[in-house]
Amino acid sequence: MVLDKSERKQSRSKVIVRRRFKKNYYGYLFIAPFVIGFLVFGLYPIFNTLYLSFTDTTLLSKEANFVGLSNFQRLFADDVFTNAVKNTWLLWILNFIPQIGIAMLLSVWFTSARLKLRAVGIWRALFFLPNLLMPAAIAALFFSLFSFYGPVNQFMVRAGLLPEAKQFLQDPMVARGLVIFIQWWMWFGATIIILMAGMTSISISLYESAMVDGASGLDMFWRITLPLLKPILIYVFVTSLVGGMQMFDIPYLLTDGRGSPSGSIMTNNILMYLKFSSSKGHIGAASAVGVLVFIMTSVCALGIFYFLRERD
Amino acid sequence: MLKNYNLNTRFQRVFIYIFLTILLIITIVPIWLLIVNATRSTVEIQQGLSAMPSTHLIENYRILLGRGLNLWRGFMNSLFVAAATTIISVYFSLLTAYGIVVYDFPGKRLFSNFIVILVMIPMQLSIVGFYQYMSRLGLTDNYASLILPAIASAGSVFFGKQYLESIVIKDLIDAGRVDGASEIGIFHRIMMPLAIPGAVTIGIFAFIASWNNFFNAFILISSIEKYTLPMLVQTLRGDVYRTEYGAIYLGLAVTIVPIIVIYALFSRYIVSGIAMGSVKE
Repeated sequence: MVLDKSERKQSRSKVIVRRRFKKNYYGYLFIAPFVIGFLVFGLYPIFNTLYLSFTDTTLLSKEANFVGLSNFQRLFADDVFTNAVKNTWLLWILNFIPQIGIAMLLSVWFTSARLKLRAVGIWRALFFLPNLLMPAAIAALFFSLFSFYGPVNQFMVRAGLLPEAKQFLQDPMVARGLVIFIQWWMWFGATIIILMAGMTSISISLYESAMVDGASGLDMFWRITLPLLKPILIYVFVTSLVGGMQMFDIPYLLTDGRGSPSGSIMTNNILMYLKFSSSKGHIGAASAVGVLVFIMTSVCALGIFYFLRERD
Repeated sequence: MLKNYNLNTRFQRVFIYIFLTILLIITIVPIWLLIVNATRSTVEIQQGLSAMPSTHLIENYRILLGRGLNLWRGFMNSLFVAAATTIISVYFSLLTAYGIVVYDFPGKRLFSNFIVILVMIPMQLSIVGFYQYMSRLGLTDNYASLILPAIASAGSVFFGKQYLESIVIKDLIDAGRVDGASEIGIFHRIMMPLAIPGAVTIGIFAFIASWNNFFNAFILISSIEKYTLPMLVQTLRGDVYRTEYGAIYLGLAVTIVPIIVIYALFSRYIVSGIAMGSVKE
């Protein structure tokens, strides 16, 4: 009787297993909306953009002609495009270096068992705040702060730091510096959170045994923290790159929306928008910008991702 | 030697706190100026900086609304788009994540690796093709074009998958099956209630991303009555408000303060969400 019962139990669990196997096909039903949504709103627009980049389509004309690679040829021959790509890289790199630097420093301090800093959670939460604010509003805020009659000029003139008010936003270096500063300001807090998550997941015993061996704090950082943090660093690097290549709101709203002064803060996406919104609405050319930047970004991102990954 | 070490640590600590304080001032001052200046009159603002709020909030509000800017319509538009995006994003990303976590269907690994790659791919760059496609469907200048793509938000699915992996109990699902619940019923009635903390995190991020989204709305929406808040910010920078600093700051404060309030309420979810989204292996 006992045997009978356990047998029955076994066969019942077999049924469940078999049923579970069949049920596994339900997975497709669950992911179906995502897949359809992706095909319709993600993949198709990519192919459509690619297709448009080979045509001379405008917003006004209904007909479109296939023009081969001439949109791309024109872009490569155009200084405005090469300038935009260079600018975008420059603006991204110069904000990424201090961003990762400061974030690394603060993360090491915040997680240090020796320093035991107080209220780490509160510091971190406050440093992260700018990341959540609307970039468009932040750009407008800095536009206003640095305008001719704005508070920065007043403060500098009154404090005797400047002889007279300065048209800050007409100086290419200042405009670039501001974009870089704002990007840094918005992102270093987020990077701290991510790096700290990585650091706290490293086992303490590794540090303890290193300490027994007489390793210094710096040794431990280079030999333990940094190598084990590699996947996280790659993640930060790639997501920041992808975001940086699409920089738009801040440089667009900080000056006149054309990358002024003298194209110093013209980025890929601003150029794409300008082609798109030009009086003819040349969306073929705009698509070509999108396609080139898409290829450049994806190749760099996936390149970093796989190249750095497979070596472990 | 130990005493020396302690002294050293103490000095270092003082130095670090000073450094953190400077960094904190840099972080907070622009935001603080924005909020304080929203309550000060233009004359006061031009007279100099102040860290203290003043009493001209209502006056600024009158000027702000008196020049043809329909701030509250923009606010409601943003709220509607962000809320709809949030609901769609939370529901469909949990649905997809549940499908990946619970069922061992062929191609599952491929699919979840694909999601990771999608997170990294710069989708926004296909906006022109998206625009032209939406205009063929007659969906430009329509919120549907802003909301519906949230069905396939890879980042949310990725997070949802991380989250569900930590809470899904297969026995509970089997118990549901024994009780005769359908698969989708198990998802709705057993898993959804359990996944509320994860759903809140996904929802906050979806809401904030949509609330702050300027580029897509700027390209897809054209009629003024459908403008969202980030698009109105542009108007604030225009000639109408050239010298009305108080009103400009107030307008900007309206876009930022709701997010600060959300952050004050949910900072724990937000901070842990950022951390969890990145730690994979």
